[in-house]
Amino acid sequence: MNRLLAWNRWLGWGTLLLLSACLWMVFHVPMDYQQGNAVRILYVHVPSAKMALFVYLILTLFSIWYLWKKSETADILAEAAAYVGAAFALVTLVSGSLWGKPMWGTWWAWDARLTSMLVLLILYVGIIALRNAFDDTVKGGRATAILAIFGAVDLPIIHFSVVWWRTLHQPPSFNQSASGPTITGPLLPPLIWMSVAFVLLGMFLLLLKAREIQQRRTLDAMELERASHA
Amino acid sequence: MLKAIYRLAWKDVIADFRHRSTFSSMLFFAIAVLLVFQAAFEPDPQEAQRLVPGLLWSTVLFTTILGLGRVFQAEEENGALEGLLLAPLPRGAIFFGKWLGNLVLSLLVMTMLVPLTLVLFNVTIWGHVPMLLLLLFLGTMGLTALGVLLAAMTQTARSRETLLALLLLPLVAPLLIAGVQSMNSVIASGSLTGPWLNLLLIFDVVYLALAPWGFGWLMEE
Repeated sequence: MNRLLAWNRWLGWGTLLLLSACLWMVFHVPMDYQQGNAVRILYVHVPSAKMALFVYLILTLFSIWYLWKKSETADILAEAAAYVGAAFALVTLVSGSLWGKPMWGTWWAWDARLTSMLVLLILYVGIIALRNAFDDTVKGGRATAILAIFGAVDLPIIHFSVVWWRTLHQPPSFNQSASGPTITGPLLPPLIWMSVAFVLLGMFLLLLKAREIQQRRTLDAMELERASHA
Repeated sequence: MLKAIYRLAWKDVIADFRHRSTFSSMLFFAIAVLLVFQAAFEPDPQEAQRLVPGLLWSTVLFTTILGLGRVFQAEEENGALEGLLLAPLPRGAIFFGKWLGNLVLSLLVMTMLVPLTLVLFNVTIWGHVPMLLLLLFLGTMGLTALGVLLAAMTQTARSRETLLALLLLPLVAPLLIAGVQSMNSVIASGSLTGPWLNLLLIFDVVYLALAPWGFGWLMEE
């Protein structure tokens, strides 16, 4: 794990390069004939929404791994994933809101996907809060892992219940089989590259946060050691 | 094992009526919540009828959180949880015992809450009371199953009552939606069927099946 963390800075530089290239592309795609310049928000909104969900999947896998193998690495990565996921969920909601005002005429609507994303954000915050409410890392890690797995079971139920309840959102632009507007032509390649850049960004942030957590835990252990000798 | 579950639940219910008095706190808290809603919305009888499902479910949700905060309190204060865990019972049985005790108290509160709400808000839909109660009972089974697990999860944490509410509310969002929608359809058409009832049942089944398993992991030494 330490070797991986040492290499992370190169991942960081690579992500920065790719993100800059993507941003350049985003500002050079033609305007959408209906949405105008506002369409450019999509290049941040869609990749962060996908990452907010994808990071939850990762969080669940680390949690299962931790409960199963009691590996501290898994625990640290799960703790880091909660922060990264919360950040992506927040970016999704804020960017969506900025787009919603000119396009839908409202900052917020109780639509299915908006509601699911909001619940996901609260869930991430709850996971972080639960972890921080324990002094004992083993107890905290176990409680958080179980909560994360229950959240993973709950998310599909939340999703389907709010889909039945409210649906106003655009159908997904990636899904070519859906009837309704789909993204094609010059607008599509930047989205694909941006998604790749966001995956790299997610990995970079995850490892960066993991390193911080690892160092903090080492410091806490040293502190305990010193206190017990004094 | 069923007998052990029943004994454990009965112990909690009896202890509560003798001195812990979670039941009366929950009941009067529920009435206070109704007062808050009345002061906040001042609904006339027609509006009140439309609001009844939401009023009932939000009051039930808040009241249940209050009760859940105390599920493991006695065990925590007297170190009795270790004793309970040493009992020759599977962890799942201990979970179901705690769950059943909490469920009984919550259901008693709800049985009083429904007529009280109708009286206090001047809503005359007395014919629907059995259906409304049935829906609340069904919803509360899943709600308390998840709630008791979260109570166990947060019992040794700092500021556990705040955490319990923060964790429970997003996770029970589907239950709340399904509960309110199925009550709406009962009040509108008088029938108790449809996708919302199914969702309520799915939620119950999922959490009653998974929560004992989660409890087992949580209490592992």
